Amino acid sequence: MGKLTIRSNCPPGFYAGLQLEEGLGHFSHYSSIIHKLEAFETIASRKEGRVTLALLEPNLIVGYGTCWYPDSDDRWSALGELMYEMGAVEVSRNFRSLQLAGRILEATLNEDFFEDKITYMCGFSWHWDLEGSGMNAVQYRQMMMKLYSRVGFREVYTNEPNIALREENLMMIRVGSRVTPEDQRRFRYLRFGIKQPK
Amino acid sequence: MMKDYPKAIVTRDGSSLLLRPVVRSDEEALKTFFASIPEEEQWFLRENLSDPKLLHQWIETLDYDYTLPIVAVREDDGTIVANLRLYRSKSDSIRHLAHLRVMVLPGYRDLKVGSWMILDSVKLAMDLGIEKLIAEFVAGVEEGAIAAATKLDFHQEAVLKDYVKDRNGRDRHLIIMVRNLCRDWSDF
Repeated sequence: MGKLTIRSNCPPGFYAGLQLEEGLGHFSHYSSIIHKLEAFETIASRKEGRVTLALLEPNLIVGYGTCWYPDSDDRWSALGELMYEMGAVEVSRNFRSLQLAGRILEATLNEDFFEDKITYMCGFSWHWDLEGSGMNAVQYRQMMMKLYSRVGFREVYTNEPNIALREENLMMIRVGSRVTPEDQRRFRYLRFGIKQPK
Repeated sequence: MMKDYPKAIVTRDGSSLLLRPVVRSDEEALKTFFASIPEEEQWFLRENLSDPKLLHQWIETLDYDYTLPIVAVREDDGTIVANLRLYRSKSDSIRHLAHLRVMVLPGYRDLKVGSWMILDSVKLAMDLGIEKLIAEFVAGVEEGAIAAATKLDFHQEAVLKDYVKDRNGRDRHLIIMVRNLCRDWSDF
């Protein structure tokens, strides 16, 4: 195996000449969330869009992390730029068990930017590679919780319909050190669909 | 798993509640809680925790390995509004099971507090490696709880006919509901 490098904040224009490793793709019970390089270009071009890549030098993408502000039709956008989403973290089927996902997360979050944000992730079991990982949904959920709790996330409850659809689904958050108690309270109420706390 | 508590929920009337494990200092608040449960429901309690002496004994001997009690507490005044207990056996042969009992103050029963408590217990049970949750309900008395459990994918496993007697000596069915927690990828 060649040299593996984690590169955070890869800018627009960085992706020409890179390739997605074949373990990121379509499988019988699972498809990668991103399977075209153009998607990275689009994310990196968004306001504060971030892409972190795990690269097998010189040009093979074996894992990635992407994050962004929530879309305007997303419940969490009601709190404006307080909220920031860890959109996806994925590692090629051929490069798992190397702790790459944890390193991608660490590299991504290693910025002062996150101290003003409530960074959140939504784990939907229908996106999980249960077949490739050999885990059931409960085990996969535990793995996700372990992975994200290492970088300061904790599980919270919400009635957001997609998350509430299955009990193994999860929402985890990391509250930045400069987020005020009032903003945390607004977020708590918003998790249950209440925009104005009483 | 327990380090993730407290977990906040907000009911639709805007009350902010914290779900968290019972601690010894909850004794007084629990005394008030159990005293507020209607007598006809207290009648069916396996452990008479509305008796202050038994409650004291129960709380002093709590062992989270076998009994996991979770309370829903009002964030503003500390009132306990719901109580859920997960019971696990010491025996390895049934250690993968947990029995669930939940009680909610009457004033909070239309606010889905019980549903959130059960959902929390499902997640907690999954994280503890429990494979089946078992809940017992008295027919004709706990219909709201049965409906909430059904919505959370508990299914009726058995009915023990005329198994319990109510305060008036009338026989009532005991409904056993089970929730299987283990899934594999083929479910998707």
